[in-house]
Amino acid sequence: MQTKTPAQERRDKIVFGTLAVFLFLVIWYLVTKLTAFGEIFPDPVTVLANIGDKFVNPLGKVTLAGHILVSIRRVMAAFVVAAAGGIVLGVTMGWYPVVEAIFKPIIEFLRPIPPIAWIPISILWYGFSEMSKYFLIFLASFFVITISVYSGVKSVDPMLIRAARMLGAKDNQLFTTIIIPSVVPYIFSGLQVALGNSWASIVAAEMVQSNMGVGWIIITGQQSSNMVQIVTGIVCIAVVGMLLVMIMRGLENKLCAWNKQGR
Amino acid sequence: MRMEQTGKVKKDFIVCKDVMEEFPKADEGMFRVAENLNFTVKENEFLVLFGPGQCGKTSILNMIAGFDLPTSGSITVDGQEVKGPGAERGMVFQTTCLFPWLTVMGNVEYGPKVRGVGKKERRKKAQHYIDLVGLQGFENHFPVKISGGMKQRVGIARAYCNEPVVMLMDEPFGHLDAQTRYLMQEDLMKIWEREKRTVIFVTNNIEEALYLADRILVLTNCPTKVKAEYKIDLPRPRDYTDPDFLKLRKEISEVVDHTL
Repeated sequence: MQTKTPAQERRDKIVFGTLAVFLFLVIWYLVTKLTAFGEIFPDPVTVLANIGDKFVNPLGKVTLAGHILVSIRRVMAAFVVAAAGGIVLGVTMGWYPVVEAIFKPIIEFLRPIPPIAWIPISILWYGFSEMSKYFLIFLASFFVITISVYSGVKSVDPMLIRAARMLGAKDNQLFTTIIIPSVVPYIFSGLQVALGNSWASIVAAEMVQSNMGVGWIIITGQQSSNMVQIVTGIVCIAVVGMLLVMIMRGLENKLCAWNKQGR
Repeated sequence: MRMEQTGKVKKDFIVCKDVMEEFPKADEGMFRVAENLNFTVKENEFLVLFGPGQCGKTSILNMIAGFDLPTSGSITVDGQEVKGPGAERGMVFQTTCLFPWLTVMGNVEYGPKVRGVGKKERRKKAQHYIDLVGLQGFENHFPVKISGGMKQRVGIARAYCNEPVVMLMDEPFGHLDAQTRYLMQEDLMKIWEREKRTVIFVTNNIEEALYLADRILVLTNCPTKVKAEYKIDLPRPRDYTDPDFLKLRKEISEVVDHTL
């Protein structure tokens, strides 16, 4: 077999990926048109047409774009706070044994609780307010980021610290020039998982208690037995979730180019 | 400060006096790495510590580097007792220990940078050493993209660029293939002859020791001490097949302890 150049491989990926998506849509269309499945599930053309329509005509209070933006804004507001807090706590936990001893058991205890288990508490505490969503998103991302950053500090190569000391680095310089760069890939892997968690949690939270957002689209679709609207919401969640992950990856590739093996 | 070379007797630059080092063992008791260790290194001398694998050569280097301190005895460099790592001693590691997030240039200029040398000056200095080790054109490459031999060249340039008075080299060519290793030895000699430093070089390869050294200390198994000393007066660059070279090779091989 002939080896392919990186450019060829990239092109193949795009070509085959596009073909696969197209094929998936065709099969979806044919199944809904040719079988009884069409009676309980909308075909892709109807869904796409509805998505296009709802970008222009409002669905509830705002258009589809409005709902998506509301959900993204909720995620981002709490995610940024959780990221900042998680990075700071993770780094200090990794660096100072006392901080580690205090916080590690608490975090290990709280971490396995799925974010949606907090929804009842968030509603009782914060009701309809935006704060109930921020609370959930914070919980969905904070622990993941903290633990990832903490393990990053723990796995800094001690030989690199030796090398830096030998070259004359003082403690504060070790921190800024060795610890922080070593931890950056761990920060990104934490942020990526946390963002996925957050996006999943906001949908759940909006389904339980809200008057706007992508989760609200789905739940009102269910309440009015509007299958097209439900699938519209699901497609939006998938596409936005995918874009968020892609943006994070792009950022990581830029900032961690040194960490990528091979080409 | 470095002495003028002309007309003066070279002084003892590094002095290891009655050095003993012990570590607590995992179960109980102490493991003695070195004892009765006495040797000196002259200024700008190329000293090779040669001994069987795991004999404690690296432990000695780590004490001179200041990563570990002797349990008893003392080590002085240029009259100062070693109390911890310091920029006046440079180290080249077997595993290179390059900073993977920095480019070749970033690695080489790291020492001057943390010591507060201005950007223009340190870039110029780093470029000089990058050129010296033959890596011009690779300044902006990350370590992950260059070969093992090139990484070790960066390691040497990085140590040199910090202008240490002593270079500690811990089996720097141990992981390289034989061909690259010969080439690196040749180039290291050229670099050292252009920019003299006091060097302590650790190896378990007798040919490498003979090719590089002004003087070889043969070390015993743990607890390690100096078993024999050879002053190597062969002219440089040395020839691995020269009869005198081979004679010394045989002689030293017979002296060294053998381990499995």
